[in-house]
Amino acid sequence: MDVFATNFRTIDWIIVMVYICIPVVIGVAVRKYVRQLSDFIVAGRTLRLFIAIATLTGTELGLVTVMYNSELGFKHGFSAFHIGIIETLCILAIGLTGFIVYKLRQLRVMTIPEFYEKRFGRNVRIIGGIILALGGILNMGLFLQAGARFMMGVTGYSNPAGLKLFMSVMLIMVLIYTVLGGMVSVVLNDFLQFIVLSIGMIIGSYFVITKIGWDNLFTAPATVDKASWFNPVAEGSGFGMIYVIFMVVLTFSAGALWQSGTLRALSAKTPKIAKQLFAWGSISYLARRVIPMLWGICAFIFVSQSPKLLSAFQGPDALNSQFGMPIFIAKVLPSGFLGLIAAGMFAAFMSTHDSYLLSWSSVITQDIVAPIKKGELSDKKRLLITRISIVCIGLFLLIWGLWFEAPVSLWNYMAVTGTIYLSGAFTVVAAGLYWKKASKTGAMIALFAGLLAILGIGPWTQGENVPFYLSDKFIGVMTFVIAFLGMILGSLLFPDKEKQSEAAQ
Amino acid sequence: MNWVQFWKFVLIFTISAYSLLVVIVSIGGIKNIVDMLKDLKAPRS
Repeated sequence: MDVFATNFRTIDWIIVMVYICIPVVIGVAVRKYVRQLSDFIVAGRTLRLFIAIATLTGTELGLVTVMYNSELGFKHGFSAFHIGIIETLCILAIGLTGFIVYKLRQLRVMTIPEFYEKRFGRNVRIIGGIILALGGILNMGLFLQAGARFMMGVTGYSNPAGLKLFMSVMLIMVLIYTVLGGMVSVVLNDFLQFIVLSIGMIIGSYFVITKIGWDNLFTAPATVDKASWFNPVAEGSGFGMIYVIFMVVLTFSAGALWQSGTLRALSAKTPKIAKQLFAWGSISYLARRVIPMLWGICAFIFVSQSPKLLSAFQGPDALNSQFGMPIFIAKVLPSGFLGLIAAGMFAAFMSTHDSYLLSWSSVITQDIVAPIKKGELSDKKRLLITRISIVCIGLFLLIWGLWFEAPVSLWNYMAVTGTIYLSGAFTVVAAGLYWKKASKTGAMIALFAGLLAILGIGPWTQGENVPFYLSDKFIGVMTFVIAFLGMILGSLLFPDKEKQSEAAQ
Repeated sequence: MNWVQFWKFVLIFTISAYSLLVVIVSIGGIKNIVDMLKDLKAPRS
């Protein structure tokens, strides 16, 4: 069987081409609704519950999400499901308690660093904004690459120039409608993409399970260890207890404070809706993990049944494991439906990209440029800077995506780069909201501590026998611990002067 | 319950619950969009 053989036909291309024009049309159509900066960034804080759930799902269920989760399923089997369970419980806990998101929405901030300024002053906001933008933009650095690999695998277009071509076309489409319509455009597109992608994923799951067979699905392939295929803490699973702990702190902090997700809570009509959004949205978080992982597992079972396919993923010239799922669905889904799935995935790609571009460009404008200018920027200028930032980030993504290769797995790269921002942000926001003694110095130490996470994508994390203290998961956990301790010790040893004088009075 | 049974349960629960959520959000979302556009169109200070 040819590795890149596909059922993708002309009709599928037509479906995809027609579909990708829709967001651009929406972007142009809703431009008239964007009259001020808050319309562009938080849709004028008009989101009600159902549309908020759709847009949260649209953002957090991107093509890159599908790719890294299917890669986890392809490489680790059912043991990868534990990440979905942990994340869902964390999101549900945030939804039920309103931890962080309720109070942030009450404060009517538009970005997380805006809260830093309210609580700790302007300098913390600028430093926090720079670290957030750095971590966030690095984090989305491989989105294009993963998206392009999906399209290549599904369409069977294996020409090396194809990667560059797909990346450029995908990026241009997203840039056009995000620059035009901002959050209003993003919300409407997210809703459409939520419906198309969700239906595609549910029907697609039926096809892949039918192809593999329900009983075969739960039988570990002969080429893997049975225990580690199902048990995430078994030796050889690629996870282990440190990884599980890392996932708990990472998904909890990301759930509460990942800018693109939190932006939905901040765009909600009321703080109560912001809270409900996470409680109901937890089901989406479960689906965004489990369904792509299921496809990855089915892909591996399928590949392991064909010696030719299996050999393509082994040896020094092995195909990247991200190709596993797209190559599989290209062979088992019927033409027509494959086009719909590709369109749905393309939609997922766009809905994540638009939100992330909007999130990080808003941070650059609101939290770095505007505070440096000391509030002298008009709304019009801020809009212009936000739009220019969107284009600049897009160019960076194109260059980064072309030459950087994730050292471990795509998800581990995402987790580590996310930690750069999350470890400091979670500590600073949680302490800022719930601990009166939290000080500026503590906040600064916590934010800078997050930079330690960059060590987690270094070359020393690669290879078979990496000592545990050099592994990306250990570095990730320790970054959170150091940020947390930095906040506590910094605040106790160097309390804010204003608070000291208040206490003295 | 062993790991295999547990993951079977997780898989069935996920697909069922998500299917239900998609139906509810699709219906409720359309009304929300109409209201959102009305809010954005209304004169503001």
